[in-house]
Amino acid sequence: MTGPHPVSAQNRIWAGLLALCLILTVLAHFCPWLRNFPAGLTLPLAEGLNLAVTPLFEAARPLGRIVAVLVETPLGLIRAGLAWAPWPAMVLAAMLIALRAVGRGFALFTGAGLLAVVGMGYWPKAMNTLALILISVPLAVVLGFALGVLAFYRPRLRPAVIAALDVMQTWPAFGYLIPLLLLFGFGPTAGLAASVVFSIPPMVRNTLVGLGDVPPAVVESALMAGARPGQLFWQARVPTALPQLLVGVNQTTMASLSMVIIIAIIGGFNDIGWEVLSAMRAAEMGRSLGAGLVIVLLAILLDRITRGLAERRDPRLPRSLSGRGLAFGFGAALLLALALSGQDLLPGDAGQRALRRLDGWLLEFVTWSAPFFAVLRNVITWGVMLPLRLGFSGSASPMVWGFALTPGVTLAYAGASAALALGLGWRRPGAGIALGFASLLFWTGLPNFPWIGVFAVIATATWRAGGAGLCLLALSGLGIAGVSGLWGAMMQSICLCAVAVLICFAAGGALGVAAAQSDRFSAVLRPVSDTLQTMPQFVFLIPALMLFRVGEFTALIAIVLYAIVPPIRYVEHGLRNVRADLVEAGRQMGTTPWQLLWQVKLPLARSSVRLGLNQTIMAALSMLVIAALVGTRELGQQVYVALSKADAGAGLVAGWIIACIALVADRMLRAPAGVQSE
Amino acid sequence: MKHLTTTVCAVVLGALAGPGIAAEPGATDQPIRIAMLEWTGAQITSQIAGRVLEKAGYKVEYVTAGNYPHFQGLADGEIAVSPEIWLNNVGDIYPKVLAEGKVEDLGSLGLETNEGWIYPKFMEELCPALPSWEALNDPACVALLATPDTMPNGRFLDYPADWGSRAATIIADNSLALTAVPSGSEGAMLAELRAAGAAKTPLVMMFWAPHFILAEVEVGWIDMPPCVQDTNEHCIRAPDVNKAVWSGFKDKWPAGYEVLKAFSVSTEDQQQMMLAIDQNGESLESVADGWIAANEALWRPWVDGALN
Repeated sequence: MTGPHPVSAQNRIWAGLLALCLILTVLAHFCPWLRNFPAGLTLPLAEGLNLAVTPLFEAARPLGRIVAVLVETPLGLIRAGLAWAPWPAMVLAAMLIALRAVGRGFALFTGAGLLAVVGMGYWPKAMNTLALILISVPLAVVLGFALGVLAFYRPRLRPAVIAALDVMQTWPAFGYLIPLLLLFGFGPTAGLAASVVFSIPPMVRNTLVGLGDVPPAVVESALMAGARPGQLFWQARVPTALPQLLVGVNQTTMASLSMVIIIAIIGGFNDIGWEVLSAMRAAEMGRSLGAGLVIVLLAILLDRITRGLAERRDPRLPRSLSGRGLAFGFGAALLLALALSGQDLLPGDAGQRALRRLDGWLLEFVTWSAPFFAVLRNVITWGVMLPLRLGFSGSASPMVWGFALTPGVTLAYAGASAALALGLGWRRPGAGIALGFASLLFWTGLPNFPWIGVFAVIATATWRAGGAGLCLLALSGLGIAGVSGLWGAMMQSICLCAVAVLICFAAGGALGVAAAQSDRFSAVLRPVSDTLQTMPQFVFLIPALMLFRVGEFTALIAIVLYAIVPPIRYVEHGLRNVRADLVEAGRQMGTTPWQLLWQVKLPLARSSVRLGLNQTIMAALSMLVIAALVGTRELGQQVYVALSKADAGAGLVAGWIIACIALVADRMLRAPAGVQSE
Repeated sequence: MKHLTTTVCAVVLGALAGPGIAAEPGATDQPIRIAMLEWTGAQITSQIAGRVLEKAGYKVEYVTAGNYPHFQGLADGEIAVSPEIWLNNVGDIYPKVLAEGKVEDLGSLGLETNEGWIYPKFMEELCPALPSWEALNDPACVALLATPDTMPNGRFLDYPADWGSRAATIIADNSLALTAVPSGSEGAMLAELRAAGAAKTPLVMMFWAPHFILAEVEVGWIDMPPCVQDTNEHCIRAPDVNKAVWSGFKDKWPAGYEVLKAFSVSTEDQQQMMLAIDQNGESLESVADGWIAANEALWRPWVDGALN
């Protein structure tokens, strides 16, 4: 029997914090102002921001209008061209490109997919969306690459650039839609600007990672061969980094497509995003699913074709279609276009009627499965959602769990927690303290944790992980939330996102591992991931609403369906790119497959897995605003309220708090691993 | 012969409509951009208004636009007309652009609207006191509506938080055992109502008319308790639906301005057209063409009154 483990200085601080929070929690039962941020401390932050921001944007308006003209002129031309071209010619041209870039099978897929678009009656709208994408993706890729290169060559700028990327990815576009409208006026430019802001970050990140991972040997041999700086960059670094750059292009394309909806919220373009939005508004699953599938199809085509063209730059590789064949085919398509007259060839509304039939089936399913889902809904609400929101102290009531919070129950809970925490802490003080916090948190529920305790814990954690800068950032976020009266909303958001990220990372990570082991599973999973990431979330909301009704659980489903994709992708990517010699070395040492995974591959893939976690958190936070459409009461909802009031200030404040949570969570996760690797 | 009948009708109706204010056509070479908002009713109104303006010799363009963002476009002149504005759903931005003089309100569109609390019809078997609001005082009925997160109260599905709502106030005024849950979006409200109708799940929610869903799901309207105070906070009143134009409209298209001032849509007509589009899958354009062909007696005086 050994004595207690010596307590480190760090653990002493945490134990002190635990004691503070415990005292605050007990006191909060008597003085409620200790629980939530006191309403008396609010400041007119949004009003002040409005006074500053609105004149600024209105002054910048002439500039904004010039940009709008510069963007909308080519956009109008592309749109007119796509509207002029009759669909048979366009389908033929697309199939030729697919044949040249990828192969015969994909060309057939392209043809079938585009015919389905025509059949569903979405062709003109799909072409309008394509026009938007043809402007926004190149813009985002070029800007993102330039920014990535800048950050690569100027390491001192890197932290600022990376911080800006996180802000861009997590600041909900709805939050700055009002200022953008003030700046660019009503029209597609405001939406396009939001889309570019959101889709640049993956390009920058992947440019940085790609250029950073270029082996020094490649650079050295290029220098030895007498390469000038420009040659070194374009002929050595960029080609070596190309696979990673293409991941960036791919992700930027996907992000742009996911922003099609945001562009449609402003409107003015009669595109597929508009169709999805109208269908969601009318709660029509069939129509929204059809329109959503058009977006997914566009994503798959753009993704595969851009990748195919880039991978097959080597002229020695065999192609399914020769250059002459391509030219001949395009000539035929052009002749076809001149011979046929535009939109007259479009089919009637039979496709639309077929889509509407889906709604009938959905309703039949809802009717048939209602008793089952009613039980499931109640179990999840009672067992998971309410305890998270109200904690043990709130859930232990006759209404929720069927027993009251008597002094006996309280004592039993406190006694059991204390015994467990002390028992565990005897050997491992860190674990004991963690358990103490967990049981305290489960007692109050995250939204009702005493606010002073939240400040103290976050301040300590951020200080230790990232120093004064991170601590200041975190405290500013908490402080702004408090004084703007958004404390409760912020805690609800954190709660919802934390649950979603845990589910996503567990399930998505497992799927990613499985996909890395089996090529066949990977091939099946890839289109599913693409669909989840590009299918507008609104489409899933309708059946989820019918089965689970308005509320947080439906919101959770929507968030999980979107945020599960990054862990799948990044875990698979990381595991597949582990150096083969190291895996071989592990195998020769006689590891079991399980040990090989946990002790060799996953640690080696750490940077990719960490990037995946980072992206999961970002994705979950970015979904808060969509989740607000099913009636949550958190920050995403505040963004909508601000939008409806045309209150630029309130939107910016709520958006900044969301971005702040993302930045802090990201840095906190990154810090300990970063210390290890050094 | 048909022409003569039309002319006679036009003269008679023109006389009924009062003396037309003859106006110059103005910039007929430049298209009048008409907002097409998200919901079917507004899209029908826009298409009809556009066709009437075309009959008056104008070019028109339809611009799909979000409800809140489109007010900015209307203030800038990017959008020239918004023919169906529900004044209960304009946020703070519409009063703001009106006050700044950037947008002109042309008065009522003529729709007869309704707003109140609805329930799927089958609930009358479960709560026999319906449609009286007293039914919501019956514990058995409230228990049917209760969900885990509103226990012991019944769940009341309210408007989305960003629409602004009075339900919570009215519930408190009458000490009803209900908890108002914000619904997040119109789509969410419709999805719940459809599911409730199909699966026979009890539901009470805030709603408005005319709306296409009312032709699809059979609902009852609750007879509301008397208002504690005759204010917007404590009382549900039928919302006004108005037409609005960009402030430069009158100078640029004077006759078009007069046409729009006279323009109106009846609730009956709009409901018929919504049904044709949302239920029978007819296209918006063909339905609007059909209305124009069938109702020349109605719109001809607006056009002639403005031009002659």
